[in-house]
Amino acid sequence: MAKKKFMLGFSPELVNEAIVYRLVKDYDLKINILRAEVKELGGRLLMEVDGKASNIKDAAKYLNECKVDVQELANYVEKNEERCTHCGVCISICPVEALTMERPTWMVRYDPEKCIACGMCIDACPPGAMKFRI
Amino acid sequence: MKRTVAEINQRIKDGDVVVMTAEEVIPYVQSEGVERAAKEVDVVTTGTFGAMCSSGAFLNFGHSEPPIRMQRVTLNDVPAYAGIAAVDAYIGATELKQGDHSEYGGAHVIEDLIAGKPVRLKATSNGTDCYPRKDIDTYVSLNSMNQAYLFNPRNAYQNYAAGTNSSERTLFTYMGKLLPSYGNVTYSSAGQLSPLLNDPTMRTIGIGTRIFLGGATGYVAWEGTQFRTNVETSFGVPMGAARNLATIGDMRDMSPDFVRALYLHGYGTTLALGIGIPIPILDEDMMKAVSVSDEHLFAPVVDYSVQSRNRRPIKQVSYAELRSGRIELFGKEVRTSSLSSYLKARQIAEVLSERIENGEFTLTEPVAPLPQDRSQGTLEVRSKEDAI
Repeated sequence: MAKKKFMLGFSPELVNEAIVYRLVKDYDLKINILRAEVKELGGRLLMEVDGKASNIKDAAKYLNECKVDVQELANYVEKNEERCTHCGVCISICPVEALTMERPTWMVRYDPEKCIACGMCIDACPPGAMKFRI
Repeated sequence: MKRTVAEINQRIKDGDVVVMTAEEVIPYVQSEGVERAAKEVDVVTTGTFGAMCSSGAFLNFGHSEPPIRMQRVTLNDVPAYAGIAAVDAYIGATELKQGDHSEYGGAHVIEDLIAGKPVRLKATSNGTDCYPRKDIDTYVSLNSMNQAYLFNPRNAYQNYAAGTNSSERTLFTYMGKLLPSYGNVTYSSAGQLSPLLNDPTMRTIGIGTRIFLGGATGYVAWEGTQFRTNVETSFGVPMGAARNLATIGDMRDMSPDFVRALYLHGYGTTLALGIGIPIPILDEDMMKAVSVSDEHLFAPVVDYSVQSRNRRPIKQVSYAELRSGRIELFGKEVRTSSLSSYLKARQIAEVLSERIENGEFTLTEPVAPLPQDRSQGTLEVRSKEDAI
């Protein structure tokens, strides 16, 4: 079994497709939707996918065929250790506790595995240590 | 037990001085008692590293050929105040770069200079008979300038209110990002390590006190602006913003590790500064004061969605609670964040301890005390007659 995070990008014409349903039904994936939005230029869906590695692979193939932009989320947000002062402003902002205060060192630790790329830490970080990796 | 600053300095010279940080001394006093600890320990070092908006630098650029009396000055396009002598300027931490929505400001210029980077200086003038030049566009650095020193009107606040937000929208404040509906609480103090919380009545800290400032040796210049003594206390320590210091120190000896530009989204730029003050253990009362722990230090929680200078505290919470990561507000658990770095505060207290132990830093007696009785006034829209 594998657990992965994906950001799906939909063009406006794909917004009405029941893509998540297909992923559950045809590929037996457990899906946790972390963020979803629909805007003028289409939609974005951030989800965590839990299932057999081969099924996840097949599902990604299916999505590609549907012309859904699939990006695996790994280290979407990065922490600049030089810039970080370990104040900890970010820790009460991060909704998934990917940023935590380690004790007794009082150093801010960032766990990219937990990060859902919401970006809430980025404008909250006073020394500008948190950035989206483009 | 009595001890003088002169005796402590002799022990520093002899290499016999016993120094502990304000954090280390807490368990020591708990196990040995105040009396024994006061006998054994000569100096307790403190530290803080946080946003201090009222900070800035006096710079002297040297004279150009032909000379100019600079009237409008920018450094990396950040305006500096030049309404003093010809090539002197003051750059404030919160001054923003010209143009809209800049995240670069005076604090960044200060950090860049301390990091050894060149900074673009542009100046214009109307020109005079003695200063004929009308403009200059060049680069300066810490090496090229005659003087470059931080002179900060308000640093190292004794204590400060924690912030939260009752409104429906996210607020971007100088206390950081405050999430809607009491979504979080931010605070800004090193608590048990903080300089002025360890000498709450400022018995040992006054004008001329030698301090650690941004990595350099600096001094207390004056009372800080908005210095006040009439604040409610608990265990003898103010429970809100009370005393603070005006500080001065040479930028050439500072390090970007302890001087860091910050940008608070929706607010602007400010300077995070590291300050450490050694407290001489003159007697048992002093030892008792420095052994205060976060459990006995309190801050009010205020609602920043109230856009008024009169914000009534929601409640008082201890720094132990704030530092635990969660406090209770209206029956709900709310996550907390610090705006000041406890890690850096600890490093500063440790560096200062080492400097004292190595004989590189000696203690001072205040040249003059800071005010013992000071309140803080407000600004009203008033007539000329009422202003007197």
